[in-house]
Amino acid sequence: MAKPDGYIEIRFGPRWKYISPARIFIQNFIAIAISDQAKADAIAMAASELLENAVKYGASEDTHCIVQAFPETGLITASVTNQATEQGAKEVSGLFKKIMAGDPLEAYIMQMREAATRSDGKSQLGLARIRYETGANLKLEVSPENRVTITIEVR
Amino acid sequence: MNKLGIDPIAQDKIKIEVADNGPDMVIRFIGDIDMEDPSIILDPVFEKVHSGMVSKKIPEIVADFKGLNFLNSSGIKAVAKWIMKLAMLPADQKYRIKIAHNKAITWQVTSLPTLTFLVPGAVKIE
Repeated sequence: MAKPDGYIEIRFGPRWKYISPARIFIQNFIAIAISDQAKADAIAMAASELLENAVKYGASEDTHCIVQAFPETGLITASVTNQATEQGAKEVSGLFKKIMAGDPLEAYIMQMREAATRSDGKSQLGLARIRYETGANLKLEVSPENRVTITIEVR
Repeated sequence: MNKLGIDPIAQDKIKIEVADNGPDMVIRFIGDIDMEDPSIILDPVFEKVHSGMVSKKIPEIVADFKGLNFLNSSGIKAVAKWIMKLAMLPADQKYRIKIAHNKAITWQVTSLPTLTFLVPGAVKIE
């Protein structure tokens, strides 16, 4: 992959109050990097959803986000990494597999219907929303130490 | 006070207002819904709206999101939960939800139309 023309790296302890400013910062960064407000909005939403998951389900005080812009091709990547428990890493792997199967809209509607009937406080909608609304390519990596990284690539 | 007797809410970064709209109702969302658990605020409001719409036989409510800057997926879950209540109603108690959205806000253009697929025929977008 070519070198990015711009990138930002954000690292913060898992505190909910930092997500909103991170989202706005990412949104402004992308809008400046590629002059495409709609894409900036979509990726900021996606990064915000990933950060919410990382903070909600993270097992340690370290959430790490890198956003890279490649203006020549219009490619934007955003990666969010956090430490999960073994059980948490298994859950996210299972959810990822389920959401990546089939049509993005159908997967999103199915997750919305399921979310509406959940009583455990989870929505499990974020990944399906990202996949459908951004058209992004999503990748999941889980290290042997259960560090979970989700990357989105949007052109 | 509106026909449903629901007070406005201003909590965290969100304001919610319920108002009469001729023979119908409107519920307006202004601000951001990006708190960790928006169901604490949204579920009780939607429950009151739903039971009021049914008991007073009001035919339609506009869900006006035009002033909402951001809605996280936990907030979408709460809206979906409200919409799914319509599927459980007998035909003579059903009401319509019309979603008003702001085309200048990207997430509204991509997120809100998907809600119309949850209960076919129950939700329209304008």
